[in-house]
Amino acid sequence: MSLLVTTHEGEFWPFSIFPMFSRGGHPWIRSHVRQVELRPGVAVWATSSDLYTLPGSPYPLREAGVNQNDIANFLFKTDSWSGRRVNAMRALFGSDLESQNLMIYRVDGSLDETGSVNVVATPFLLLTPDSTHFNPRLEYPGR
Amino acid sequence: MKHHVLLDNLFGFDRPDSPGQRAFAVLFELFVLYWVVAYAWSWAWYIQRTEDVVLPLGVARYIDLSFMFNGVAPKLNAALMTLFAVVGVLRLWRGAWLACLLSFHLQYTARFCLGEISHGSNLIGLVVLGFGIAGVAFVNRNHARRFAIGFTYFFVGLGYTTAAICKLVATGLTWVNGRHLWLWVAERRVDMYSTAATFDYTFVQSLAIDSHLAATLILVFGLVAEAFGWAIWFRRSRPFAMALLIAMHLGIIWSMGISFTSNTWLLVLLAYPWARLIDRTVGRTSDVARQIVSPHGGVLTQE
Repeated sequence: MSLLVTTHEGEFWPFSIFPMFSRGGHPWIRSHVRQVELRPGVAVWATSSDLYTLPGSPYPLREAGVNQNDIANFLFKTDSWSGRRVNAMRALFGSDLESQNLMIYRVDGSLDETGSVNVVATPFLLLTPDSTHFNPRLEYPGR
Repeated sequence: MKHHVLLDNLFGFDRPDSPGQRAFAVLFELFVLYWVVAYAWSWAWYIQRTEDVVLPLGVARYIDLSFMFNGVAPKLNAALMTLFAVVGVLRLWRGAWLACLLSFHLQYTARFCLGEISHGSNLIGLVVLGFGIAGVAFVNRNHARRFAIGFTYFFVGLGYTTAAICKLVATGLTWVNGRHLWLWVAERRVDMYSTAATFDYTFVQSLAIDSHLAATLILVFGLVAEAFGWAIWFRRSRPFAMALLIAMHLGIIWSMGISFTSNTWLLVLLAYPWARLIDRTVGRTSDVARQIVSPHGGVLTQE
């Protein structure tokens, strides 16, 4: 068992050495998906610390049958944003992408020096029915 | 020969068998069968959305998983998982549960290759491994049954105890600082809002956010509950240690909105002496039946 997990980066199901919530106070990265309309004057690439005031409306992942963990982990574990990887991300939303634009936000959470929680949502990928747009202010590995 | 105390508490191979223990073992195996089938088919449908491997887990480091993404293979594998599990329950082939474990592992690596590592299915997988080893290593069914259940006790206790140790190693005693819970609640708020497009704080979340002391006490309870995981290995302390862990999981549901459903129900099944309860109930029923047949019969007592 120890041999399996140590030679497989700590995970060889059903064995795992990754306990949840072991690093108290450690910053986290999550994701948030929104349905957006692309109109002149809408600052689609603007960051925000309030999810509720972001452009558009939340895209309910449960109704779409998509797991939130998958989107979040897909974002920060992808080491090369190849065409295949982008298509794999689009495939998760299936036919929903035929008729709407979805903005995927990267959401960073951390504790500041005073112990308060800071949350910042940064536009990461804009998926439209016919194309995928990357945030021009960010750098993407492998791209 | 005096047996080792820990082995006796985990397995109790020399203890007398009873109808209650046999009935509980059947119930336990049916519980695992249910979750194997549930995971197999829910994952099979989800895998159809997958087109690339972000995180190669387990055997995915050695084989190209793309053959699992064609819509047919995950359903075929789910059917195999189901078939092997049913064959295992019916004792038609001694290697069935091990074969089920291999299919289960493949299904897991295909389902969670998008970057997420899931913890919910680990305990069910460990029990399947326990059934698998028991099936090939023991001819005596009573011993096989006791091994599988004892094996599960061992890994449940080990898992929770090491989880507490990891928290202390990764963070130290300050892990219990309530501000850490604030940060995790904020994380879950993002997740739940993204999942359901709406979010309301639960009572426990509001309590934790309003009071640093309350948030700290919630984390202290969680750490203590996990730190006593090893007490599951001993028959006398088992119900208390597992009750603490069940309470901890209820706390995680209320404070974090994360429900490890199969995991928590497995704890409920293993925490209490259900077999003894079945024996007593059956014993009482038998007593009543005997007294109906012979009103002057003596009262029978259980051991």
